[in-house]
Amino acid sequence: MKTLIIGEVVEGNLSSGALEIIAKSQELGLEFEVATVGTEESPNIGSESFKNTYLKCNETQLSLGSVANTLKTMVDEQSISLIMAPSTYVGRDLIAFLSVDFSSSQVSNVINFSIEEGHVITSNSINGGESEYNSKITSDKKFLLIRPKSFEEVQVELSNTNYETIEINSEDPEVFDIFIEEKSGPQLEDSKIVVSAGRGMVDSSNLSLVEDLASKLNAAIGGTRAIVDAGWMPYSQQVGQTGKTVKPDVYIALGISGATQHQVGMKDSKYIIAINKDEEAPIFQISDLGIVADTLSIVPKITENL
Amino acid sequence: MKIAVCAKQIPDPALDITYSEGLVSRPDEQVLDDTDRYGIEVALQLKEKFDAEVTVISMGKLGTEKGIQQALQMGPDKALVLEDDSLSGSNSLMTANVLSELSKKVGADITIFGTESTDGYSGVIPQQVSRMLGLPCISYIKAVEIADTVSLTRQTSTGSEKVQMPSNCVLSVTAGGVEPRYPNFKDIMAAKSKPVEKISLSDIEFSAVQNIEFIDIKDVSTTKQGEKIVDEGEGFQVIIDKLKELKAI
Repeated sequence: MKTLIIGEVVEGNLSSGALEIIAKSQELGLEFEVATVGTEESPNIGSESFKNTYLKCNETQLSLGSVANTLKTMVDEQSISLIMAPSTYVGRDLIAFLSVDFSSSQVSNVINFSIEEGHVITSNSINGGESEYNSKITSDKKFLLIRPKSFEEVQVELSNTNYETIEINSEDPEVFDIFIEEKSGPQLEDSKIVVSAGRGMVDSSNLSLVEDLASKLNAAIGGTRAIVDAGWMPYSQQVGQTGKTVKPDVYIALGISGATQHQVGMKDSKYIIAINKDEEAPIFQISDLGIVADTLSIVPKITENL
Repeated sequence: MKIAVCAKQIPDPALDITYSEGLVSRPDEQVLDDTDRYGIEVALQLKEKFDAEVTVISMGKLGTEKGIQQALQMGPDKALVLEDDSLSGSNSLMTANVLSELSKKVGADITIFGTESTDGYSGVIPQQVSRMLGLPCISYIKAVEIADTVSLTRQTSTGSEKVQMPSNCVLSVTAGGVEPRYPNFKDIMAAKSKPVEKISLSDIEFSAVQNIEFIDIKDVSTTKQGEKIVDEGEGFQVIIDKLKELKAI
C-alpha cells in the first residue's frame, strides 16, 4: 500500500512522531515516503533508507493550507492511498485539510493499525485505555492521525542531505509576532519523571508546591484537563486524551482523581505514584504506589526531605 | 459582522461514556460541552466590540435542548440547529459538512469553535469546516486582543505566534484561552425567549459519506496490583524510599 508519512522539523531534526510511524510502516512492509514540514534551513531529516521531501515554509506566514495543496498533488501524482501524521497541532491541521480534499474522513487518536486484505484497520483507546475501539476504513484514501508514543521510534542516521526541498508560497494570513517558549528544564515528552497536578490541588496558587517538587526531582510538570480548562496551566501542559501522551519512568499524580480522559495520556508510564485523599479515586486502580493523604500537606514534606 | 459559534451537546462528562453498537449513548438530557464556552466567549467579545450578531450552530440529537440553552444563556442572539437520525454516528467529515452548511445559512463572516469535543475529541472539525468554506483557519487560539483590529495568539509546538484576524475566517479556541462568562438569573431567563431555528438535512447541501465501519470494542483492561497506603505521617518517606529504589533520585 503506497503510504505518505507527514513529519515535522523539531529543533533541526525529524520529529519523533514521524520516526515512530516510520518504524511501524517498516514493520508492516509498507511502501512509504515522508514529507516533512518546517521553517529551518537544511534540517537533519534525510536518510538513505527512505525518500523524504522537505516542504519549507516561511515562518512569517501561516502556511498549512498551502502545504496541504502541495501534499494533495503528491498524493494524486503518486497514487498514494494511506496518509498518516502524528496527532500534533500541525498534523491535525494538515490531515483535516486533506481529508476534505479527498472526501474521506480521517480516523483520529489512532494507537495501532494493521492492513488486512487491502483495508486499513485502526484501533483507538477508549474508557481510559480499558477498551480498544476497532474500525475499518472503506474509502480508497485513508487518513490516520496517530497518537504520539504509540510505537517505538525507528533507529536511523539522519543528515541534511538525501532529500528534495520544495519552497511553500503561502497566501494565508501573515504572522506578525513569534514567541519561542524558552525550554528551560525538562520537557513533558521526554522527561524521565513527570509530576502532574489535578483538581485536588484546590487552588492555582498551590501549584507552587508542584513546581518545587518538580524542580527538586528535575521533573517536567503536567496537568489534567480540568485544571487546564480552569486556566491554571497552559494547554501545552495538558496530559490526557486531548493533550499529550507521556511514558516517563516515574509519573507522580498529585490530587488527580484519574478520569479516563487523563489515564489515556499516562497509564503506560513505567511506575505510577498517586497521592489523593479520596481512597476510592480511580487513579489508585492504575497506580503502582498509592498514598491516601492530603496532597497539600504531604507534597511539601516530600520536597523538604529529598 | 455575523458570527457563527459551534456548540455541542454531550452526555454529562462527570459520567463514564457508554457505547452501544460502537456509538456514544446519548441521553435525552445532554449538556453544553465546556470546551465550547471558550469559543462562545470569544464570539461575545467580538459582538461587544463590533456589534456583531452571534448565532449558535449545532448538530446532533436535540433532546431537551439543555446544552443549547446553556449556550444561549451566555449571550448569543439565537441558534440554528440540525437534527437528523441518519446523522447518528457521523464521521468527522459528515459533521464538518453539516456545520459548514449551517455557517453558510447564518451568512457568517467568522465561524468559531472549541478545539475538540469532550466526547468525540477528533480535533479536526474546525479545520475541515475552514477547508470546506475555502477560508483561512486560525487554529489553537490561546489569547485574543480586541482593539480596532483583532490580534489572535496561536499555540504552536514551540511557543506561540500572533496573527491579525482576517475579515472572513474560521477560528478554534483552546480551553483556558479566555475566561468564559457565567450567566446570571436575568441571562438565564432571557435565553428562553431567544429563537432556536430547527432545520433538517434536506435543507442543506450534504454530500459527505461514511467511510469508517465499526468492527468491535475489545476489553484490554489490565488490573494493576499496586500498593495502597493510608498516610499516617510517614507517607512522604515511603515515596522518597521508592524514588531511591527506582533510582529516580
